[in-house]
Amino acid sequence: MDELDNTMIGRGRDAIEMIVDANSFDENHIEGFEFDPEYGPGSVVGTAKIDGQTVTIIANDAQAFNDRFPVVFGGVIGLEEGYKMATAVYRTLEADKDKPLAEKRPVILIVDTPGNGPGKMEEIAGMNKSTGGYQLALAEARKTGHPIVAMVIGRAISGAFLCHGLQADHILALSKDFGTMIHVMPTTSVSRITKMDIERLEELSKSNPVFAAGVEFFYKLGGVQEIVENVEGMRDAVIRHIKEIAAMKAEGKSELLGPWGRGILGSKRGGRTNRMDTIAKMNEEFDVVADKYINA
Amino acid sequence: MKSWAGLENSSFFDASARERALGMVDKGTFTELLNPLDRYCSPHLPVLGTAVEFDDGIVTGVGLLGKHPVFVVSMEGKFIGGAIGEVNGAKMVSTIRLALKAAKSIKEKHPNDYDDRRPLVAISFETGGVRLHEANAGLLAHAEVMDAFQDCRGTVPIVAVVGSKVGCFGGMGFVAAATDVIVMNEEGRIGLTGPEVIEQEMGKEEFDASDKALVYRTTGAKHKYIIQDCNYLVEDRVGDFHNVLAEVADMPMAEIEKMRRIGSLKLVQEQQELVKLVGDMQPKDSMDIWKHFGNKKPEALPEMSTAEFLKVVKRRKRP
Amino acid sequence: MALEILEFEFKSAATQGINKEWSHFGVTGSGDLEVLMEKKDLGGAVKAKVVTPVKGFDAVWEKMLGKFVDDTGVGNVSIEINDDNATPIVVYVRLRQALAEATAKEVE
Repeated sequence: MDELDNTMIGRGRDAIEMIVDANSFDENHIEGFEFDPEYGPGSVVGTAKIDGQTVTIIANDAQAFNDRFPVVFGGVIGLEEGYKMATAVYRTLEADKDKPLAEKRPVILIVDTPGNGPGKMEEIAGMNKSTGGYQLALAEARKTGHPIVAMVIGRAISGAFLCHGLQADHILALSKDFGTMIHVMPTTSVSRITKMDIERLEELSKSNPVFAAGVEFFYKLGGVQEIVENVEGMRDAVIRHIKEIAAMKAEGKSELLGPWGRGILGSKRGGRTNRMDTIAKMNEEFDVVADKYINA
Repeated sequence: MKSWAGLENSSFFDASARERALGMVDKGTFTELLNPLDRYCSPHLPVLGTAVEFDDGIVTGVGLLGKHPVFVVSMEGKFIGGAIGEVNGAKMVSTIRLALKAAKSIKEKHPNDYDDRRPLVAISFETGGVRLHEANAGLLAHAEVMDAFQDCRGTVPIVAVVGSKVGCFGGMGFVAAATDVIVMNEEGRIGLTGPEVIEQEMGKEEFDASDKALVYRTTGAKHKYIIQDCNYLVEDRVGDFHNVLAEVADMPMAEIEKMRRIGSLKLVQEQQELVKLVGDMQPKDSMDIWKHFGNKKPEALPEMSTAEFLKVVKRRKRP
Repeated sequence: MALEILEFEFKSAATQGINKEWSHFGVTGSGDLEVLMEKKDLGGAVKAKVVTPVKGFDAVWEKMLGKFVDDTGVGNVSIEINDDNATPIVVYVRLRQALAEATAKEVE
C-alpha cells in the first residue's frame, strides 16, 4: 500500500486546515454557543471562514478516544459524538434563524468515519437516536436553506456515512488514489454473511455499481456529486459547490439537491436503473384511486 | 384468506407483511400499490443467483382509518431478512412522498377539516437494514427516507410499528427512531447494531449474542418503553396495533409531536441527559437503568405479561 | 449464477377455474415460495413459470405441477412461482393453498 503515503485517512483535523481560510478555524464555538471541549472528542465542531464566508465545520477526529465510551476511536461516531454534531447543526440554525436565505451559513462536513458506535452501552442508551438525531438536524438545516457540502477524505462506511454525509446537499470525495473508501461492507464480509461465492462477488464488484465498493461506483449512483482528484483541489471544490448549491436554493431548485437529488442524478448517470420507474409507477397507481382516499 | 375478525385477533408477530398491511387499517380499505401482479422484482438479485419476490419484500399501499388516508409500508422479514434494496427502498420512499402529496390535495379540497382527514404514514418494520446484494442502492434509499420524514414534520404523522421476528436493525433502526410515534408489542426489538456484531466487537464476555434474554433486555420493547423510546406497548394482536393507529390518526399534531424522541435541539438535550446517565453509570445490563428509573425489582419485569408490566413499570421521567 | 427460469404447459380437464382475476399466496422465504395465479383463457390448459436458484430439478417441478393440475382439475390459469429452495412437498402444499385463496369467496 506504499502508494497511499498521501492518504487523508485519520487526518480530519488536517483536512479542516487545508480547506478553510488560514487560521480561521475556531473550534467548539458556534455564534452564541460554546461546546464543552471534553464532550464527544471523536467529533470536531466549530466555526471557520471559507473564502471569507462564515461556515460551520463538522468533522471526525480519528486520533481521539472517548474515555466514557471505549468503542469510540479511529473516527467512530459514538453517542456523544452524534449529539454533539446534531447540536452544532441546531446552533447553526439558531445563529441564522432571522437571516434571509442568501445569508444562511454553509455547513461543511469532513467525512472520515468507519462506523457508528457498536457497543452494549450504545444500544442501551439508543445509538440509533444519536445518529438519527444528527441526520434530522442536517435535513432540517438543508431545507431551511443552509448549503451543506460533505467532503469525503477517508472512510465513509455504511451507517456512519448515512449519519455524517448522506444528508448533505452535495457530496464530494477524494479519488480512490488517496485510499478513500465508500461502501457498506467489504466484499469478504458480504461473502461470509450471504454465503455467496467470493470470486463471483469480486467479479461483480468490478462492474456492478449497486453492489461494488468504491468512490467511482457511488459517483455512478449519484451518491457522489464530484470526485476531487487531489488534496490541493479540495478547498476550491468546496467553495465552488457552496456557490452552486446556494444559487440552486435561491432559484427554488432544492429538489435537485440532497438525497432526492442524488436519486435523480443516479438515474442520469445510469447507476440506479429502477428507482425512478418504481416511483413513477406508484404515483400512477395512486392517482387512479386517490379520490377515494382524499375525499373519504 | 382469514376473515376480518380472524385477522384482527391474530398474532401480529406471526402475521405476514401483507396481513399486517391489511389489518392495520379499516376493514376492506387497503389498496396495494405495486402489488405482486406488477412484478416489481429486484433486478440485482438474479445476478447473484438469489431468489426474487414479486413485491421485493415490501408491501406498500393506502388504506383508511376513519377519514384519514393511511400510507402503509410493511416489510417481510422472511424474504432476505426484510432488507432494503433499490426497488423496495424506492417503494418505501415513494409511499411517504405520496402521503405528502395527499396532504396537499386534502388541504386544497378540504381546507376546513384537514385535521379530520390528515394523512398518516404507518410503517411496519421487519428488517436488518441495507440489503447486501445491492448495498449501495439500499444505503442511498435510507437517506431518502430520512429526507422524506423531515418533509412530513408537523404535517403528516409517521408511526413506526415494530413487533415482528426480525426486529428493526441497522440503518432502519435510526429510521424508526426518527418517526413521531413508536408502537411495539412485547416481541418487538429496535437497535442499530445487531447482537452478533456487538459480540464480535466487544467479546462474548461483554455481550453474548446467543443469550436471548440479554439481547431482549438490551433492544426489546420493554426496555424501549422504560426509556421512553416506545410510546405504546400493546398486546400481540393485529387489532391492537390497528386501534393505536386509529387513536394517533385523530390526535392533534401538537400532541403527536410530544411523543418524538429526536428532531429538535430540546430533544437532543433530553437524550444527552440519558447518555450522561449511561456514561456515568457504565451499566452492565439494561436492568441497571430500569432500577435507576425506580423499578425496585428489575429482574421481575422481563417475565411479566404485557398487562402486568404496564401496571407496575416505572419509566424515565421526561422533562 | 443467474436464476433458472422454467416454463411448462399442462393439459387439464379444466373442471374448475379460479374466481379472481388474479391471486397471490406465500412468501419467497428460505425453503419456501410464492405463487401468483392469473385467470387466462388457455383453452383449458395451465401455464406455469418457475423462477428458482436451484438447478437441475426441471423434472421434479414438472411432476409436482402436473400432479397439482391433475389432482385439482384446475384449468385456464397462468401460474408464476418464485422459489427459494422449497422441497417438493412444500411446493405441492403451497399450490393447493394458493388455489384455495384464488377460488375463495370474499369472506366476512
